[in-house]
Amino acid sequence: MKSIELLGKGEEMHGRAYIKLNVNELEEAIKKLKENGFNHFVMLSCIDWLDKGKFELVYHMWNYEEKEHAMLSIDIDRNNAVMKSMSHIFPQIETYEREVHEMYGIKFEGNTRLTPFLLENWPHDPPMRKDFDSKKFVRQMYESIPFIEGEENEGI
Amino acid sequence: MKEYELFIGPQHPGITGNMMYHLWVDGDTVTKAECNVGYLHRGFEKLMESRLWMQNIPLVCRICVPEPDVNEAAYSMAVEQLMGWEIPDRARYIRTIVLELARIAAYLMAIGSYAGSIGIYTIPQWSMGDRDYILDIFEQLTGARVYHIYIWPGGVRWDMPASLPRLIEKTLNYIEERLKLYDDVLFENRVFFDRAIGVGKIPCSKAIEWGVTGPNLRACGYGYDVRKLEPYAAYDEIDFDIVSYPDLGKFDVHEAGDAYTRMLIRRLEIEQSIGIIRQALEKMPEGEHILKHPNWLRWKVPEGYAFARVESSKGEFGYFVVSNGGLKPVRVHVRGPSYTHGINVAERLLQGANIADVSQILFSLDICPPDIER
Repeated sequence: MKSIELLGKGEEMHGRAYIKLNVNELEEAIKKLKENGFNHFVMLSCIDWLDKGKFELVYHMWNYEEKEHAMLSIDIDRNNAVMKSMSHIFPQIETYEREVHEMYGIKFEGNTRLTPFLLENWPHDPPMRKDFDSKKFVRQMYESIPFIEGEENEGI
Repeated sequence: MKEYELFIGPQHPGITGNMMYHLWVDGDTVTKAECNVGYLHRGFEKLMESRLWMQNIPLVCRICVPEPDVNEAAYSMAVEQLMGWEIPDRARYIRTIVLELARIAAYLMAIGSYAGSIGIYTIPQWSMGDRDYILDIFEQLTGARVYHIYIWPGGVRWDMPASLPRLIEKTLNYIEERLKLYDDVLFENRVFFDRAIGVGKIPCSKAIEWGVTGPNLRACGYGYDVRKLEPYAAYDEIDFDIVSYPDLGKFDVHEAGDAYTRMLIRRLEIEQSIGIIRQALEKMPEGEHILKHPNWLRWKVPEGYAFARVESSKGEFGYFVVSNGGLKPVRVHVRGPSYTHGINVAERLLQGANIADVSQILFSLDICPPDIER
């Protein structure tokens, strides 16, 4: 596959190129792929590997001419979740970084628009993290609301 | 002149769903626009991580309201990639028919709402009525009108009844006749020309870099369509041509990437979809419609990363599914076409636009907030 040849590493996975990179290699890799026909940035995904203590960021890029999909994957430390912003290469990365920042709490240095996106006034932990227990959260937030009007503790 | 702030939405007939645009205006010219979403966030991606592989099917279809089938298809395709399954031929053809019927329904809805935004209120009444005839087909095939829960990993849920091809053919003939009326009232109407030509123009050299896909990209002159680039279902066995600027058939050709061209691409693709369905009905083989499933309660999907993409009526829909070999997915991430169209592209296109054109620019991009927020 072209992207694997260009970057000199990676493996094929279900018809896609899956390329594991170090954090400092990422920017050069995205630029190199963009110059070589991978001009469509598909999306930026984040996966929380709680047991391994890391976040995996996957940058999906697509080449219209070669019909090839490349997934550039990097790992960052879960306890020190800071990453350099890539929004200067593709403008729509800005929005994906906003969402990842909000949902996983990863800070993207260089992105000036890490403002609330889908959530508003959210003081709790980032909700897409694996250690955010939605059931427990719902119990704490809403269990005190009585089902029938006029019961004790009405309206929390 | 003094600058004012103007909020459009989330409850406004000129907005494309439950979302809001915050505009800064000077006179009646927009100087800056900011998209504000969050009214529709249902946390599907988080919910999918705690449900079994099959339990996610009724969730994914709710990610795009006007065209739910693309979600079921993309999710199923990603799971099939991980499982290494080849689906039966008959299922591939039934999927093609369902996806194309859904595309026509979504285009009718898009054309209707667009026409409403430029003040031609006849078309929305007609197109929503015509869309219902397609929903009737879905009701006979799947038992549901909007969320079908029909395309499953390994095939489709039920076989197509023998009486259905006749109903489909009848409906297609009807829609084909109706398109002539749509042309008279909207697509060959002076009001449409005066309002839409040159408005909300996507700079074509920037279109791919901005992440524009689907009909909006084809309106810029790039003939890219996932159905041809990465054929799924039975598209590789069906003969059709991609509709792209400047080949607009009988319609006049004006500027690339403006609201006029974007809507005409949608209009022409209805005819293309009708052709695809007819071919698929003709070529459909007999046989099984679904593979034998493992026990859903104990179904473990092999470890790996899979990405499946389909062409929806709004653009490229992608599902990124990660499995660690367990009973539930580790991560399902959805790439909705409106994610880029609605935020990044729309904010840029609205700059410098007239307030009266804001709503038609948004409708001509066919933005759908459910797939931004999931």
